[in-house]
Amino acid sequence: MTTPETNGKYVLEAHNLSIFYGSFKAVTGVNMSVERNKITAIIGPSGCGKSTLLRSFNRMNELFAGTRIEGGIIFEGQNLYTPEIDPVEVRYRIGMVFQKANPFPKSIYENIAWGARIHGYKGNMDELVESSLRQAALWDEVKDKLKQSGLALSGGQQQRLCIARALAVQPEVILMDEPASALDPIATLKIEELMQELKQNYTIVIVTHNMQQAARASDYTAMMMIDDNRAGTVIEFNETNVIFTRPSDKRTEDYVTGRFG
Amino acid sequence: MKANRLAVEGFINDVKGRNRAGVIWHLIFQASTIVGIIALVALLLNIINGAFGYVAFEARVDPASLALDGLPLEDQSKEQLIALLQSNLSSGAFSKLEREQPFDKRSREKLYQQVAERIIKYKVVKVWDLWPSLTQVAQIRATLAQEYPNAQLKFVSWLTNDFITRPQSSEPLTAGARTAILGSLWTILFTILLAFPIGVGAAIYLEEYASDNWLNRLIQTNINNLAGVPSIVYGILGLAIFVRSLERLTSGAVFGLVDPTTANGRTVLSAGLTLGLLVLPIIIINAQEAIRAVPQSLRKASYGVGATKWQTVWSHVLPNAMPGILTGTILAVSRAIGETAPMVVVGASTAISFDPSSPFSKFTTLPIQIYQWTSRPQAEFRSLAAAAILVLLVMLLSLNASAIFLRNRFSRRW
Amino acid sequence: MIRKTFEHELQEVRDDILVLGSMVEEAILASVDALKKRDIEAAKNILKADRDINKKRFEIENKLMILIATQQPMAHDLRLLASSMEIISELERMGDYAKGIANINIRMGDQPLLKPLIDVPRMAQKDVDMLHRALTAFVNEDVEAAKAIPIEDDEVDALYNQVYRELMTFVISDPKSIERANWLLWVAHNLERVADRVTNICERTVFIATGELSEIKNSDDEFWKQQKS
Repeated sequence: MTTPETNGKYVLEAHNLSIFYGSFKAVTGVNMSVERNKITAIIGPSGCGKSTLLRSFNRMNELFAGTRIEGGIIFEGQNLYTPEIDPVEVRYRIGMVFQKANPFPKSIYENIAWGARIHGYKGNMDELVESSLRQAALWDEVKDKLKQSGLALSGGQQQRLCIARALAVQPEVILMDEPASALDPIATLKIEELMQELKQNYTIVIVTHNMQQAARASDYTAMMMIDDNRAGTVIEFNETNVIFTRPSDKRTEDYVTGRFG
Repeated sequence: MKANRLAVEGFINDVKGRNRAGVIWHLIFQASTIVGIIALVALLLNIINGAFGYVAFEARVDPASLALDGLPLEDQSKEQLIALLQSNLSSGAFSKLEREQPFDKRSREKLYQQVAERIIKYKVVKVWDLWPSLTQVAQIRATLAQEYPNAQLKFVSWLTNDFITRPQSSEPLTAGARTAILGSLWTILFTILLAFPIGVGAAIYLEEYASDNWLNRLIQTNINNLAGVPSIVYGILGLAIFVRSLERLTSGAVFGLVDPTTANGRTVLSAGLTLGLLVLPIIIINAQEAIRAVPQSLRKASYGVGATKWQTVWSHVLPNAMPGILTGTILAVSRAIGETAPMVVVGASTAISFDPSSPFSKFTTLPIQIYQWTSRPQAEFRSLAAAAILVLLVMLLSLNASAIFLRNRFSRRW
Repeated sequence: MIRKTFEHELQEVRDDILVLGSMVEEAILASVDALKKRDIEAAKNILKADRDINKKRFEIENKLMILIATQQPMAHDLRLLASSMEIISELERMGDYAKGIANINIRMGDQPLLKPLIDVPRMAQKDVDMLHRALTAFVNEDVEAAKAIPIEDDEVDALYNQVYRELMTFVISDPKSIERANWLLWVAHNLERVADRVTNICERTVFIATGELSEIKNSDDEFWKQQKS
């Protein structure tokens, strides 16, 4: 959670970021700044490196062998890719929600408590569970069945449980990788509503291939496209309403009007 | 021909022919299943046939004559039985028994058994299988009256509670499988103690931690190959390593707990360790499969909240893979129980009557017992073998059932 | 091409707007012509024709709503559809101005014209010419052309002023002619408003093409300043 003391307009910045899988350059030359307490969307055609870029923000790319980056990612003024920083620490300050909801096969309570516990949370766990579920707009639906398995919930509820799980370790940034793509329209809208509430206290970066969702739900949009070397790059980054009413780059225009991709 | 509204120009749709082919294959698969079932049923019937039937036996000495002042043999006390033994056996035989196990240490039932074995000497004269016992009773009685007029005819189920609880003896009527059963169980215990932790640990390392380089691929290939090595090879390996080289360890000399009857490495411990090596590759491969089957999304979720690799493995991957690992372990153990050749090589005794009392005792296992009984000439031992096979089958079935139960219980929880 | 159907429908929208535009052009010219000839029948026909203009306008509006609801238009497409809504509204108002002229014609009844119409038909011609070019610029998204048209509004304004001064002269010399003068002034005023609306259409065209939403400066303010001085 951001407190008034944390300064800096931009929580996350990418400086000339390139991401390699082995010798293949997947993402090249990205410069973008994620503003605090705003929702930033990353859109673009399939395979342009959106998810790769997103994963680099919390060093999840390192789970795949052979990935490396050039350039830097600055989080609250601190470069994330230095040897002193353990990726494990990064990942709870910058949380992640995945495309297909993946709650742990444990009880709802345990789903949320486990993360907090491994990071040494010493406070009142019941309160933390309740507050996380409230923030994820799930408390009213599950408060009587906290001991039930997380897998017994519907798809939309499971995704909100995953959001609650990410919130429990009190991150500053929440990364969402196409969080609603596996959900029905109502559940999707609930997630978007939730994002609007969450952005008061957190910063959100969302990858989506649903342009209408990006248009509805985000404040800033980064448009990614593959260049001639099959590397993805951000070709335009601006306020969402500008991207969708008068984008500067013709490729962006073609993409958002559905003429391409 | 009537116009077929479903027919399309350019397609000759031989629907009948296609369905016919399907039916034929269906029948072929059904026939295969039936052949398998027939084979299984034949096996079971054969065994059951041998385990029950009429037995004709004679006693050398009439038990009634051993009654003491009107007290029948069955009711006599321990001291009375000891006195009986002393008076009826030669001094040499008596002292030999004393040396094997002092009389006061033996239980009353054991003493009774000794009396039955050495004094009364029930002798089996003829044995019939179940099928003739059920269908040719009159003929049997006739034959018996002719050939062995003194013999008694009794319908015996060779598989009784006594059979399971009596120790081995050379007299078929008093022989039991207890020694062998306990020997098997003790052996399996050590097998599990060795193979499970090492196997699961190796599987975790190979699946979660090892990088994909040539060395690890080599290791993986070798493990896969080891699973197919004939078990006799493991027996020889066990002989060389556990029985001979590590004799100080396996005989208990290191701990000072040497079994007085056998101061060498042919102990339960060696057998357990040998079988452990045998099933280790199977457990590793099964556990690897189970761990591999855990969906990657679960690991990503765990890393996503900032867990380390070990926390992810311990809290999420292992619990999720546990049903599969346990199933694989139990199946491996079922295989180990039935192994005969390596046990022979490692030195399972074929004629002991004492239950194993420590890891360092002599031992025998159920398959070995079965083998030994079937190689005796007397027909009654074959019946005993059939009964022992039934016991073995029950053990295997219950192990498999517990595997299924555990798997269901674990997967139902979530 | 992707979104072939949508492209086709956008083209239909443009075509419909051209049709509406030509209906309006015809109405303007016809209403002034009828006034010149004092043809009451023709004026009544123009009133009927205005109903068709309104109907056409609502038809186009309906199509636009459907496209916006169902096609998720973004960027340029969105600007095109939103601006089209505005443009048909302007065109409909222009149609109303023509109708107003026809109404005056009818209301004048048997009374003769105060003076032969010279400047008024010139205004009408200029209006129709500007409108035609503005709609062509709209269809072609010709920013240059669109930016060049509003300044011609000055000419129309000049003609209006002339008519105004003439009519004032009439009224001063013959106060009884004030009613007829008023009517004629009203006609001129309608035609001057048509030109203003054409300017709005040009601004919308620039917006569609570039995303800039602003008034195109013409020298209107300066002209009046000059007049007053």
